[in-house]
Amino acid sequence: MLIQLKNITKEYDNIGVITKVLRGVSLDVKEGEFLAIMGPSGSGKSTLMHIIGFLDRSTDGTYLFDNENIKGLNDDELAYIRNERIGFVFQSFNLLARTTVLDNVILPLTYSKKKNHKELATKALEAVGLGNRLSFLSNQISGGQKQRVAIARALVCDPKVIFADEPTGNLDSKSGATVMNILGRLNSEGRTIILVTHDRNVAEHADRIITIKDGSIIKDEKNLNKRKSEMIEDEDL
Amino acid sequence: MKSYLLQAKRGITHNKSRTFLTALGIIIGIGTVVLVFSVGEGFKSYINAQVDAFGSNTIFIETSVPASTKDLANGASDSGNVNSSAMNAVPVTTLKNRDVKDVRSIPNVKNSYGASMGQEVVSYKGISKNIFIFGADASRFDVDKGIIALGRPYSEEEDKSLAQVTILGADIASDLFGDTDPLGKYIRVGNYNFEVIGVYERKGSTGISNDDKQIFIPVSTLQKKILGIDYLFYAVVELYDNSKAKISALDVSEVLRRNHNITDPSRDDFKVNTQEESLSVFNTILQAITFLLIAIALISLIVGGVGVMNIMYVVVTERIGEIGLKKALGARNKDILFEFLIEAVLLTLLGGIIGILGGALFAYIISKVAESFGFSWKFIVPIYGVVISLSISMIIGIIFGVFPARNASKLNPIEALNKE
Repeated sequence: MLIQLKNITKEYDNIGVITKVLRGVSLDVKEGEFLAIMGPSGSGKSTLMHIIGFLDRSTDGTYLFDNENIKGLNDDELAYIRNERIGFVFQSFNLLARTTVLDNVILPLTYSKKKNHKELATKALEAVGLGNRLSFLSNQISGGQKQRVAIARALVCDPKVIFADEPTGNLDSKSGATVMNILGRLNSEGRTIILVTHDRNVAEHADRIITIKDGSIIKDEKNLNKRKSEMIEDEDL
Repeated sequence: MKSYLLQAKRGITHNKSRTFLTALGIIIGIGTVVLVFSVGEGFKSYINAQVDAFGSNTIFIETSVPASTKDLANGASDSGNVNSSAMNAVPVTTLKNRDVKDVRSIPNVKNSYGASMGQEVVSYKGISKNIFIFGADASRFDVDKGIIALGRPYSEEEDKSLAQVTILGADIASDLFGDTDPLGKYIRVGNYNFEVIGVYERKGSTGISNDDKQIFIPVSTLQKKILGIDYLFYAVVELYDNSKAKISALDVSEVLRRNHNITDPSRDDFKVNTQEESLSVFNTILQAITFLLIAIALISLIVGGVGVMNIMYVVVTERIGEIGLKKALGARNKDILFEFLIEAVLLTLLGGIIGILGGALFAYIISKVAESFGFSWKFIVPIYGVVISLSISMIIGIIFGVFPARNASKLNPIEALNKE
């Protein structure tokens, strides 16, 4: 089992007013799974993703990643896991402004011990079909291309898991479909994908959909009508 | 390390005018530091030129109003015999040619000469000028390093026989004779005709006097024929071994006291200065000015540093989203810390480099102005000044960058990401 969550809770103490965001979430994710976390805004799905993605710590409960309890890890060790084992794709792309596509993808490599930064970054960009955009600045490309750069950046350190937080939220439907196709292909190549979305259509690319409401999992279902990755040609390619 | 530099460079080049304004305090501060160092060195080169003119192994005898007389004059028990007679209305007339000869009996004394000065109208073929006339023993030519460009020095015999011979300063020579050869010509000095036997090489102004605008004649001729006096204004003593200058100065004082019948040193009518003592006065002044200017520069640097700190806080706030992203991508706290710290250091270093160039330019202008006034002033930017300036600017970057950088590194990645 790649990810094992047992009774994870998260509380925020806001000047004495305690807000419970997660109320005992237990969840297992197998390696190679394509999981979608669904729920309305405020349900706690983003908080859950942050905890699974090592950006935040739970208030209580145990989290085993690759059979290792992460409770004992310090900030630097968590930073190392974020760098080497997982990749993030955000709704608003979060590329560095005034920086080339290539340098954006190189960024996570600068925090790792890996060598041959240029080569690895070029390979990752080729994998998302942007091998011909290396020297473009991040503000000279379209939204869909930006998100593909972000995927290349998530991919470049060769992680086990890719977390995608509303990856199509800022995209038109066609660019969104391209992005989902790429994520589907990465999953079929064996990578675990955890997708957070409030959009049922997007969630249906996954093998399994869990639904969160008010900090608890209310539904955990196998996705029977999984969308096939349609081969849409992107004119940009 | 290279990636830290890249990130820092990205930050600095982002808003160039803001970067420049932020660095301005550092630029001014470092510029002042370099200016002070450079002008200090220039001033030293000027002082050394003055010292060299007298020869480096010399001690200097000047006349001085005895303390007791001065007490009577101004009714104050002031500090010793520091006023030279030149400063006083009453000239001290006790320093004689005999004193200059007697000090040569001191073992460490190699040579000596006495000198007097006067002012007289000098004319040649209808051109007249009221100029300074400098009279010295013939031995001056062995002690001082002035170079006679044309002709010859006068001899001891000429001095003794009150010969009417003169050596011209470079400016006087050209003023009176233009392009014609002055050697062998006669000029009128007061009521006497003097034969021109030499012309000095151009020396430049010393700030107080200008040798180029004087004429030089034997001291006895000056005393007897022009001024009608029998005393000297000052005397210069050349030593074999300058390391024994202090003892030799005491010996010289003793000879003079014996000659002047003085038993109580507080009633000395002269003052003996070693080269070291003369230099130490200049050095004290120089140090005082340096300290003052460095203090001003430090204030500017601190103000500049606070400006850098202020902007770095703003920059951290501006880049919260970026910091969150970098943390999500695996940047450790210390990676973020170094990125911001290096950005701050790069900023102050940039300011430091511009400051060094600006300060050096200013010092160059000062040296040119000084030269145009005839001072022998060298333009020097000392290496130690550059090294110190660069170190200071880096240290300021570290000191004033570390708090904003720590703030940035301690940010919670999620909060930072959500701020975007």
